[in-house]
Amino acid sequence: MSGVVVQVVINGILVGGFYALMGMGLNVIFGVMKIVNFCQGELLMVGMYLTYLFTSTLGLDPYLSLPLVAIIMMCLGAVIQHGLITPLLGAANDSNLIFMTVGLMMLMQNLALVLFKSDYRTVQTGYSLKNIHLLGQVVSLPKLISFGVLIFVTFLLYAFLMKSETGKRIRATSQNPIGARLVGININRMYILSYAIGAALAGIAGTLLLPFYYVFPMVGATFTLRAFVVVVLGGLGSIKGAFVGGIVLGLLETMGAFVVGPQFKDSVVFLTFLAILILRQHLVSRAR
Amino acid sequence: MTRVGYLRTFFVELSLLAVLLLVPFFIVAPYILHVFIMLFYVAMLAVAWNILGGLTGQFSLGHAAFMAMGAYASTLLLIKFNVTPWIGMIAGGILAGVTAAIIFYPCFVLRGPYFALATIAFAETFRNLFTNWEMVGKAQGILLPMVDRSWYNFHFSGKLPYYYIGLGMLLVIYGSFAILERSRLGYGFKCVREDEDTSNAIGINVVKYKLLATFLSAAFTAVAGAYYAQYVRYIEPDLMLGGYSIEIVLPAIIGGIGTVGGPLLGAFLLMPISEYLRVMLGNVIPGGHLIAYAVILIVIIRVKPLGLVDWLNGLKWYRQLSGAKLGVAEAVKK
Repeated sequence: MSGVVVQVVINGILVGGFYALMGMGLNVIFGVMKIVNFCQGELLMVGMYLTYLFTSTLGLDPYLSLPLVAIIMMCLGAVIQHGLITPLLGAANDSNLIFMTVGLMMLMQNLALVLFKSDYRTVQTGYSLKNIHLLGQVVSLPKLISFGVLIFVTFLLYAFLMKSETGKRIRATSQNPIGARLVGININRMYILSYAIGAALAGIAGTLLLPFYYVFPMVGATFTLRAFVVVVLGGLGSIKGAFVGGIVLGLLETMGAFVVGPQFKDSVVFLTFLAILILRQHLVSRAR
Repeated sequence: MTRVGYLRTFFVELSLLAVLLLVPFFIVAPYILHVFIMLFYVAMLAVAWNILGGLTGQFSLGHAAFMAMGAYASTLLLIKFNVTPWIGMIAGGILAGVTAAIIFYPCFVLRGPYFALATIAFAETFRNLFTNWEMVGKAQGILLPMVDRSWYNFHFSGKLPYYYIGLGMLLVIYGSFAILERSRLGYGFKCVREDEDTSNAIGINVVKYKLLATFLSAAFTAVAGAYYAQYVRYIEPDLMLGGYSIEIVLPAIIGGIGTVGGPLLGAFLLMPISEYLRVMLGNVIPGGHLIAYAVILIVIIRVKPLGLVDWLNGLKWYRQLSGAKLGVAEAVKK
């Protein structure tokens, strides 16, 4: 019994790491521009397909394709931000921003459907099926490697935002765009950079997921919603919060599946999400 | 708009209705009638969504759940209790309306994108529950049995009856919206959309108005869903997928959110394109029509953020014909 619980907890933490990475990507975009990016999961899907292409055509190991995917995703993110989203910022109603990202979501999903059909694809590596023992439990090796890389990426992001000059500019823009402009920060450039970072984080999550997960055009939908759950759990705009939120969501999901049965785990996740979202808003409006 | 303006708009609407009434006399190809039937269905959904999303400013991206609720309610009543879908349709509408009001009530504190997120989460929860619910056929859904073809069973041979029923239902829903839009209630909805705090200050009970808008919007959506179930005769939990919720919203966004004619215009533009692409590319490019939707959506948002109605009102001949006024932005430009 206790062995099962340990297994559930380990799985929860390993899955939670991905939700955390997705949530952080969403959070960087939201924190800086206050827009809710509905196509975050589709960016992950693009990252997965890129990794798949690098591995199947060039024979590159998925983990080695990581920097390539990150760079391509940064460029894609920059193009989306500069061409489609920046022109809408500052308009009176923010509804068009929502539907712009919804439109991008549909576009990416269906382009993937056209290009790759609806088949489930994955990559096989020498270590795909290897397991190692940890705390008396069997854990799959690729999951563990991915989790390690993921922690490293989180630290890099945190250090970048907190310590580097550019990171400080991004944070300044997120705190007060007008003030940031006054002290000479090019805020449009910061917007492009933050969307590029958000897209790159989603792409990295995709690469790390592929060695033990499969990719199909609709794979993003589950991850978009869960990324939002993470952000609401951990607090908008907070990197640390997103990381903790991701792990909590992973634990919640695996524990929930263990308690009420795996077929109802989605309901557990979404109902918890709704409860937290609504309670938090009530508390905020009461505090005012 | 002036009284004469309204009369002129009414004249445009009547001519459109006349054309639609006459269509089956000239076109008998079942496929074309099918396209029109799906057009009526999509337009009904978009107009119904527009009550909550357009007039009241609460963007629901979970309306597919209410559509499916109407479809399931009318179907189950017919199969288990042999209740005619005409009553099932109304029962489903009330059920979905009340359910929507209950589950959206706590969400009304959320604004903008957060409300949209909450509605997505609700729709996904419903889909998850329906997928695992024995009585509603689980993931396989329900295939409607072959019953006698009669008015009682809402089952006909040929597409013509569905065409006129669909047109009639669209007329009722569209008419309700047009009346609502310039009624006291409608002004209340718009007031809530523009500024909740000010609405509160001038004595509008914001929560009550949002509840009413939710009820009406979800109820009409469910009625359209019941029509869909009786026409297609197969329903499944995947009808609640987020993609369908977005397809409900698209015509309203593309046509002009919050306007009377917008969702109709959007549906008239999108449905023929989508059906044409489905036929031409269906086997080669399965998602082709959705790519077209996405591109149209992105282009409209970039070029005409207020939708096609705004573009139409910018045309001189249309203004003279319908008595519509220039959009505010356009008027300022001139």
